[in-house]
Amino acid sequence: MGKTILCHCEDVDVEEVYSAHKQGFGDLETLRRYTGVGTGKCQGKCCIVQTLRVLASIESERSGGDSEHAKPSLTGDPGRLHLPTARPPVLPMRVDDIIEARKENE
Amino acid sequence: MTTTAEIIIIGGGVNGLACAYDLAKSGMKKIVVLEKGYLGVGATGRCGAGVRQQWGMEENIILARESVRIFEKLPEELGFNVFFRQGGYLVLIFDEHEYDLVTRSIPVQNKLDVPSRLLDPKDVAELVPGINLDGVLGAAYCPTDGVCYPYAVLWGYGEAARRLGVDIRTHTEVTGIDVLDDGTYSVTTANGSYNAPRILNVAGARTKDIAALIGIDIPTKPHRHEIAVTDALKPFLDPVVISLKKGFYFSQSLRGEIVGGIGDDNEPSSYSTKSSIDFLFRYASALRDVFPALGKVRIIRQWAGLYDVSPDARPIMGAVDGFDGYYHACGFSGHGFMLSPITAKLLTELITTGSTSIPIDTLGLTRFDKGPLTKDPYVVG
Repeated sequence: MGKTILCHCEDVDVEEVYSAHKQGFGDLETLRRYTGVGTGKCQGKCCIVQTLRVLASIESERSGGDSEHAKPSLTGDPGRLHLPTARPPVLPMRVDDIIEARKENE
Repeated sequence: MTTTAEIIIIGGGVNGLACAYDLAKSGMKKIVVLEKGYLGVGATGRCGAGVRQQWGMEENIILARESVRIFEKLPEELGFNVFFRQGGYLVLIFDEHEYDLVTRSIPVQNKLDVPSRLLDPKDVAELVPGINLDGVLGAAYCPTDGVCYPYAVLWGYGEAARRLGVDIRTHTEVTGIDVLDDGTYSVTTANGSYNAPRILNVAGARTKDIAALIGIDIPTKPHRHEIAVTDALKPFLDPVVISLKKGFYFSQSLRGEIVGGIGDDNEPSSYSTKSSIDFLFRYASALRDVFPALGKVRIIRQWAGLYDVSPDARPIMGAVDGFDGYYHACGFSGHGFMLSPITAKLLTELITTGSTSIPIDTLGLTRFDKGPLTKDPYVVG
């Protein structure tokens, strides 16, 4: 079976998420710090929803449910299936540009 | 339902889990850790990751030195790679006052086996390629300081504690504590209550709120501190570069990102962990000032965490008169992560034997009634 890449910036694949979950890093906040998923250039814009989907499948498999069509549930274990806090800046910003913006702001 | 334990640890940050591990290793059974969010949600997971032994006060130098000795052996102790990289700490000197402080402190650090030394600007330029030397009179440098990945330390201690039978409950917020007639503590949470003859309060900036539940007054204040991270760059920065005067620090993570922060003397006390544009502005200017070439680099993320600041910026740890079985550690004022291994060791000694191998009586709450207070001049931010 080939690799299914979830996070292109940090090169995290689906297998790694399964493995991390198995080791107890199943909470999305913890998973991000353990695998690096969603912490690269795009800051999760391209991968966090897909990661939630994978986590939902894992949770569903564990409880004997249908992993193929599992959807993230926002009412599951507290802290597990929700979007992480969005951190500024919205897009990566060059240090030079931030300093320019500061001057314009003053 | 009530769960009984030998000790209840409140706080699932690095101090809570390190204490849980050390206590379990010392033979204590039935240890419960209560954490209101996920492990490391507080200051542990938000900190700057620095570990330094260059301090002004002997007490701080000794605590930090002993912590480094534990950090160095943590991977084999815990069976977990904690990514401790000893690239040193470089304390830039910008004026005569700092020069005087550093030249007075280095002999004290050396006497206590901390290998710090004075560098002239030429040495600084060799150590840190591309650094802007305008206004830099020199620097203090200690090669055995460094950075360590806080989450790895937290998970390492947590996993090792679990293997020894520690019961770690996340998403379990403490809502009340009662001292029962038999002197034991009853801790109430949304997921049931816990009873034990001892409690250890290591809840970071919330330690004072937990203590207030049983009538203990801790004079610490929460202060927001912010951090920013750049894109990953090729490794070029070995030491953590800091300035006591300007309140900044910059380091390069093993992933290559430049991680750093800058303090704000006007930041009011609050529990806010919101990111601010003001910080981003000040940080960008400070970063380009020190590393002119980094103007072209992108900042990808910023976040905030809380310092639990004590009146003299020194830790508060130990027992409290009149509260048998109650212990706490807080007020680390931005240095809790780097001191966590030694904090856990000393608290474990105190709890299990009643005394500690390094005296901590100067770190008790009563010092605030006695005065005068001494602040370490090496505190940043």
